[in-house]
Amino acid sequence: MNNVFLSLTIAILFGLGTFLILRKDVIKVIIGLSIISHAVNVLIVSSGVFNGDNAPIINGHVSDSSSNIIFNDVLDNGVLAPVVANTEEVAYVDPLVQALVLTAIVIGFSITAFILILAYRIYEEYGTTDINELKRLWG
Amino acid sequence: MNIAAITDHLPILMVAIPILFSALMMFLRSAPSVQKVINLTVSFGLLILSILLLINVLNNGIVVYEIGEWGKYGIVLVADLLSAGMVLLSSGISFLALLYSMDYMEEESLGSTYHSLFNLLVAGINGTFLTGDIFNLFVFFEILLLSSCGLVVAYGKGGFTKSDHKMEATFKYLVLNMISSFIMLVAIASLYATVGTLNMADMAAKINVMSETGNLPWHIFPAALLFIVVFGNKAAIFPLHYWLPDVHPSAPSPISAMLSGVLIKVGAYGVLRIFFLIFDGTLYMFQPIIIFLALVTIILGSISAVGQNDIKRLLAYSSISQIGYVFLGIGMGTVTTIAASLVYLVNHAVAKSMLFMASGSIIHEAGTRDMRKMGGMVNSAPFLSGMFLIGAMSVAGIPPMGGFIAKFVLFDSGITSKYYIPILIALVFAVFTVFYMIRAWQRIFWGEVRSEKYDEYHSHGLSWKMSVPILVLSVVVVVFGVYAEPLLSIAQSTASQIIDPQAYIDAVLMREIR
Repeated sequence: MNNVFLSLTIAILFGLGTFLILRKDVIKVIIGLSIISHAVNVLIVSSGVFNGDNAPIINGHVSDSSSNIIFNDVLDNGVLAPVVANTEEVAYVDPLVQALVLTAIVIGFSITAFILILAYRIYEEYGTTDINELKRLWG
Repeated sequence: MNIAAITDHLPILMVAIPILFSALMMFLRSAPSVQKVINLTVSFGLLILSILLLINVLNNGIVVYEIGEWGKYGIVLVADLLSAGMVLLSSGISFLALLYSMDYMEEESLGSTYHSLFNLLVAGINGTFLTGDIFNLFVFFEILLLSSCGLVVAYGKGGFTKSDHKMEATFKYLVLNMISSFIMLVAIASLYATVGTLNMADMAAKINVMSETGNLPWHIFPAALLFIVVFGNKAAIFPLHYWLPDVHPSAPSPISAMLSGVLIKVGAYGVLRIFFLIFDGTLYMFQPIIIFLALVTIILGSISAVGQNDIKRLLAYSSISQIGYVFLGIGMGTVTTIAASLVYLVNHAVAKSMLFMASGSIIHEAGTRDMRKMGGMVNSAPFLSGMFLIGAMSVAGIPPMGGFIAKFVLFDSGITSKYYIPILIALVFAVFTVFYMIRAWQRIFWGEVRSEKYDEYHSHGLSWKMSVPILVLSVVVVVFGVYAEPLLSIAQSTASQIIDPQAYIDAVLMREIR
């Protein structure tokens, strides 16, 4: 049930961001971009929440052979570590995606700062924040 | 420090040195002449290191460098022939562009953040080519995106591009590339959720195992499609090409040379790396798509280039059409066509960088960017006329320049791979290339003298810092045309490495499995 709400939130965020990007105001476009960037961040975090059949992280202290966790690659047999059997219960959330999301947030932050300054300079040059006025280049 | 210690750490040095000096340049802003000397030295040093890296890869096979002792779970830098070759290409062009910009850029722009951002751009490009980790690829994409945005808004001498044009172009560039980087993150997240790893070699091995056992999940295909959007946007492929003719002309000429010479090749590199390594099993579905997009790109770029009056805009549209030829070879997907498209890529990078630098000098000479107001410059600028003719002949594919070899190899390999119709279309639009390049040369250098503007920028002429990069690049263009065998053989072995990625996977995974 939680997964449904999570997916719904991500979908609504994407929709809102897309709607705002299609507006005619530079500032609204930038707000839309940052909403989409947060939707992507939530999506990345959600990719680390499992319901029990996939574990990408080695848990160091369970290296006994009785568990079904394989730590070594055997490429000839097509085994790529770490592999967990379907029956194994995986309770923990993947910590790697949270590290990824931190990086993504920082990058999104810096780009948003840059594009806001750019929007201010565009306002200085053009005297408006209307996207339709930005057509001196005819690209 | 002995030589062996340096060659062991070459891949990380290619990324770490520019980042370090980018930070250092911020502290040296009060001493612009020191900045210039240090930055040129660093750039030349990177060129030497990239040559060493390529020699190392040629002799010892694929070089894998672990950052930290994390094995495949951490970030690895992998230098195979493709990466090392691209790093050498970008280092060479960036050194020459930097030398050119010393006299081209306005002192105030040059003194503030130019050197710092240029180093960051080099770090981003080298990192993109060398990294073996897909999330790290995203990070380096963002580094090169932001630093190139900062460089596009820098000013050249004379102010031939108005600042409002620069702002508008950068805004388009940044918004489109932000959206494409979000798409890339979505694709990376879905790939990670599928295979549980971020290492590209590990991913490739796992997806191979999945497709051999027949349980390749369906969402691998949409993820691969998202990557086409991402790299297509970077390389300006047909539906995503419309930012390029605004951004490349608005940038100062040495930065245009970097953007057209190296940055759009990042997209081609990404397709070669991601699709032929990770999505090897899905490639049969995407090859027709890539060929179709490439053909539309060729047609659109060359037809639009015919109608341009602005010299840099013409070169930008020509870049679009030429990157279409590179993607045509990639889309056909056999060893010979990929080798041909690599040859094409290198030749186009060299010739187009040279043309953009020459066009910068022409703009200074004529005092305008409009080709209708130029004319008769063959007497006032004989050196530029020769150099521009060499570049135009190479892009048009006239022997004995490098572009002829590239086009010949591409069409030849396409016909032997039985892609008759795409090659026919490409051949027809290659005639357009001849038309617009030679017509541009004729409009600028022949006819009566129309340029009456003899202002202060006219008289400053060509210094050696501006003419040497153009001369070096044009010599390279001619050498690639007359003595093409070394480039062809390297491209051939690179292509066979790309087609059979097992060596890459083994080099990363088989070394120390923990």
